[in-house]
Amino acid sequence: MKKEVAYFKVNGRSYEVILTPETTLSELLREHLDLTGTKRACGVGECGSCTVLVDGIPTLACSTLAIAVRGKEVLTIEGLAKGTQLHPLQQAFIDSGAIQCGFCTSGMIMMAKALLDKNPNPSRQEVKEGLGGNLCRCTGYVKIIDAVMAAAEAMGKGADR
Amino acid sequence: MIDELSVIGKRVSRWGAYDRVTGAAKYTVDIKLPRMLVGKVLTSPYPHARIIKIDKSKAEKLPGVEAVITFEDIPKKLFTPNRHDLILYHPENERKDMYVISEKARFVGDRVAAVAAVDAATAQKALELIEVKYEVLPAVLDPIEAMKPGAPRIHDFAPNNISLHLNFPGSRGDVEKGFGEADCVIEETFRTSKQHISQLEPCACAASFGPDGRLTIWSPGQSAFLQRRKVAELFDMPEGMIKWITPHVGGSFGKSGALSVEPICVALTKKTGKPVKIEYSREEDFRGTETRQTYVATGKIGVKKDGTITALQEKLIVDGGAYFSRNSTTSMASMGGFTGLYRCPNVAAEADCVYTNILTTGGIRGYGNSEGTCVLEQLVDKAAKEIGMDPIQLRLRNIKKAGDPDNKGLPMETCTLEELIKVGAEKIGWAEKRARKKQNGTKKYGIGMAIMMDVSGAHPSCIQHRNAYIKFNEDGSANLVVTAYDMGQNLPGACAQIAAEVLGIRYEDIHILNGDTDSTMFDTGIGASAGLYQVGQAVMKAAQEARRQLLERAGKRLRLAPEELEVRDRRIYVKSDPQRGISVAEVTRQATYNLEGEHLNIFGKGSFSPTQSPPPFATVFAEVEVDTETGEVRVQKILYVNDSGRVINPATVEGQIEGGIAQSVGYCLTEDYVINRETGVLESDNFTTYKIPSALDVPETEVILYEEPVPSGPFGAKGVGHGTTIAVNPAIANAIYDAVGVFITDMPATPEKIFEALRRR
Amino acid sequence: MGPFEYFEPRTVGEATKLLFIHGEKAKIMAGGIDLIPRLRKGEIKAGYVVNIQNIPGLEHIEPNQKGEITFGAMARLRSIEGSETIQNKYPILYEAIHQITSVQTKYMGTAVGNLCVATPASDIATSLFALGARLKISGVKDERAEPIEKFYVDYHLTSLKQGEMVTGVLLPNPPPGTGTAFLNLVRTHADIAKISVAAAIVVQNGICREARLAIGAAAPTVLRAVNAEAFLMGQKVTPEVIHKAAEIAAGETKPITDIRSTAGYRREMAKVLVKRAVEKAVETVKA
Repeated sequence: MKKEVAYFKVNGRSYEVILTPETTLSELLREHLDLTGTKRACGVGECGSCTVLVDGIPTLACSTLAIAVRGKEVLTIEGLAKGTQLHPLQQAFIDSGAIQCGFCTSGMIMMAKALLDKNPNPSRQEVKEGLGGNLCRCTGYVKIIDAVMAAAEAMGKGADR
Repeated sequence: MIDELSVIGKRVSRWGAYDRVTGAAKYTVDIKLPRMLVGKVLTSPYPHARIIKIDKSKAEKLPGVEAVITFEDIPKKLFTPNRHDLILYHPENERKDMYVISEKARFVGDRVAAVAAVDAATAQKALELIEVKYEVLPAVLDPIEAMKPGAPRIHDFAPNNISLHLNFPGSRGDVEKGFGEADCVIEETFRTSKQHISQLEPCACAASFGPDGRLTIWSPGQSAFLQRRKVAELFDMPEGMIKWITPHVGGSFGKSGALSVEPICVALTKKTGKPVKIEYSREEDFRGTETRQTYVATGKIGVKKDGTITALQEKLIVDGGAYFSRNSTTSMASMGGFTGLYRCPNVAAEADCVYTNILTTGGIRGYGNSEGTCVLEQLVDKAAKEIGMDPIQLRLRNIKKAGDPDNKGLPMETCTLEELIKVGAEKIGWAEKRARKKQNGTKKYGIGMAIMMDVSGAHPSCIQHRNAYIKFNEDGSANLVVTAYDMGQNLPGACAQIAAEVLGIRYEDIHILNGDTDSTMFDTGIGASAGLYQVGQAVMKAAQEARRQLLERAGKRLRLAPEELEVRDRRIYVKSDPQRGISVAEVTRQATYNLEGEHLNIFGKGSFSPTQSPPPFATVFAEVEVDTETGEVRVQKILYVNDSGRVINPATVEGQIEGGIAQSVGYCLTEDYVINRETGVLESDNFTTYKIPSALDVPETEVILYEEPVPSGPFGAKGVGHGTTIAVNPAIANAIYDAVGVFITDMPATPEKIFEALRRR
Repeated sequence: MGPFEYFEPRTVGEATKLLFIHGEKAKIMAGGIDLIPRLRKGEIKAGYVVNIQNIPGLEHIEPNQKGEITFGAMARLRSIEGSETIQNKYPILYEAIHQITSVQTKYMGTAVGNLCVATPASDIATSLFALGARLKISGVKDERAEPIEKFYVDYHLTSLKQGEMVTGVLLPNPPPGTGTAFLNLVRTHADIAKISVAAAIVVQNGICREARLAIGAAAPTVLRAVNAEAFLMGQKVTPEVIHKAAEIAAGETKPITDIRSTAGYRREMAKVLVKRAVEKAVETVKA
């Protein structure tokens, strides 16, 4: 196994990591950087629980080689809040009752952020379509969609992105 | 007494929300311990095989491998992974048929060996280096085939592979006579689907021995104390030497009521002397953790022309899988659900639990009542059609009322089935929609409904024992220490609401300590919607005792009797003179640091065992559209009318229902656990092949929360989560029946099956 | 998965050279959403992974001098979906991509990557069959353009020779009077199609002048229902004619039973979907 040193930017911080080319972004985050907020529920890119943003693009960390994103800006769930101030999406998920077991929550929020960054005023159907690649087994999705709609409204009113 | 509730009934944020939205919440899969080894399990590629010899030498020599264990290395004790044998009043129907690592392979995925190594890649390589010599045996994958004489015997003690024959003890009357009195008798055989509940967090466990020999286990198991006892007995340890920690749990739905990898993980940590974590891949989770209870169910109903049900009979063949686990209790619940939903003088049921060389069918949300009710509710609709009666009218004719026995034989404090039917029928526009013209091009519309009653805990069949304690902090907040297992249904949050309401402080003033057997008190574990009704009452008692001490102490300060005082919103005040009072914080601080007299850390303990299990009720209406050219079913809408007694947190209750609906839509229409009939290999082993509903697959949902507080419940609350997968399936099946006259007897009701049924006509 | 060596070539030439040298052991990584999971599961093995994401000039979606649209090997599904030109000129390609439910997959995945998996269940491939797409292929020594029908040799087998890679796709201009439609059947919205049909029909004065009927997931590769097409040519497109064409098309399929569906159902649904697709295509001509 050929190891190399690579540099990563995650949540605004720089990291120097020794890894092999086979290391997935999911493994980099969870095992190397102790950022376990990004989950791994299937490993085949079907569930969306490993969604992070790479240069703002929603990306499945389990299906991405870490080495391919070196130098890019990676944003994970841990990077959303500013200190104790939650991102409007995080707050909306709490307020709307959109969290049950919470395992899908990180992926849902990151995907929703990508959606709202592109389309700040989505319809309910657009939110549903936007979350089509994120599976949840607990909630039936109803309150998750409620939360994204509520976050869009709050952000539209000037709540800090 | 307080006129208006301040916390109960409010949509407060759930317990653990902050940790979960920030990624801080640690689940078992996230656990990291210093020097931790990675454990992996080698499983059988054959559905049935003797293990002749295992050569682990090459694996052991691989650098980085610290242990390779087989049947030789584990305690030679048969056990059942299910914890009911520890608490059932009649445990004789349980079967201890499993070793920590199997001595014989009984399904593809059965545990044959395990390794612990420095990292996942090394562990995987080590598995590949273990050489197992199998003697492949003929396998049997179908329960009916398994019962036939000459079928391969899976467990030595079970001839014809029948592990248990159950005659339902609630059978009563004379069913033959009842069928004789009927004008219409319908009998159908159903095959229920082997759904895999697919909780998002893959199965995992971590274990570590401390220098003092105490073992710590991290596991998503639903019954920490009971599961701890099982591990203790397996490894000859006293329970007190094991600390069982429950991290955040990424879903369970009943599955983690059974032990899975915990014993192997402990065996590895024992062998290596180092912490070990096993984390299943999604494929391993599909292959190796229990599925939903699965039946070949023959149901028979007799009705008179006027709609009276004269007899009900059910014969179950339980496709039990390779190990018994929860076969008996789920079968009992299924038969109870079938025979106990309606008034009927003549009911009988029996079950044969059968071993097959497939993955064990366990105890998943609904726990047999889901299957029994589905069979019954579909038969009711068919009978209604035969006698030309509206299906709602037939149900109302036989509906149970308060005082009638529930499906466990206990008299019901309340029963709102009739009200729920009427509320739902009006809301959905039943009469008009049943009568409407069905066809639109190639698509036909249908509407169907079903009802259910479930349980609030497994009383009276087993010990249910709950404890909680509360200690005030100096600042007037309180720590609630309770085993309140949270698989997403927010039991800790509901307990905090109850505590806050009784103590007269705010919801955010309650800090919960949960999931640590060293500090929480004994609890028999969660399942069958026991949590809120039972644990909630232990919490209530603890809070009442702490409140009593608080008011007594405040009374001393104010020189008044405690009966003259009230406490609300962090303030203790005089009932007759509300301006006069003292803050809770002042009382607690002064009690702790009392310069003048007796010190007191205000503390309350509560213990609870139920004498009842009030059923939650629901009626569900489903609207579907069936494409007659393709057989595709689109569920347009589900209306769910729910009575769980008083609603402690509407967001939680709605969330449970909405989630149950989504699971049921999958169970009914698309989720198919596909096992290759030749090789016994699971073909649907990830979400690519096993499709659970996404946001686009869930229909429009409407939930009506009908609150009928039940006298014995905490603030009148009953259970909810368990029952939400019971009535949706039959409602959808009945809607399909209404739309196109196809009677679903084989789930999932795929377009292929519906197309074929339409073509045959 | 692995171990493997990892490369980030800067030109197509560098990439094809690596592919030529390492042959079967080298795999291209475009989006990675198919490659990485399959490597993890051990379904495929790679000694060398060639990441083409950093080769300039492969992301384009643009017209050539003749007005035909080409898109490059790194044109992401999301970009193609969002292209107004594609939406207006090749709506069935848009629809085939749009009904992929995972937005992440569309941001990461590429159309060319999807095509190179060579599964007959690819909706994108099915729609491109109906559009008469041609694949641009570069090798170490030369380039060629291949009609998509020739590109697929068998299940999971393309016509790519050692050292070759697909660098783009060309979509010819639809003749005047073209109507198109794309339909499929799935277990759940996020699933791979049980069966899919893409139709491109040229109708002039009520007569069918040209027909391309592509059926996916009903044979080892996407197939053109050439007999049904021949039947339609020169005929007035009446319901009876469409019905008959659909029957013929269904007879040309070679479906299997697998985890998603049965052979019998697929054959029956080929008939239903071809009928519906042709009807819909003819409607779009009128519109």
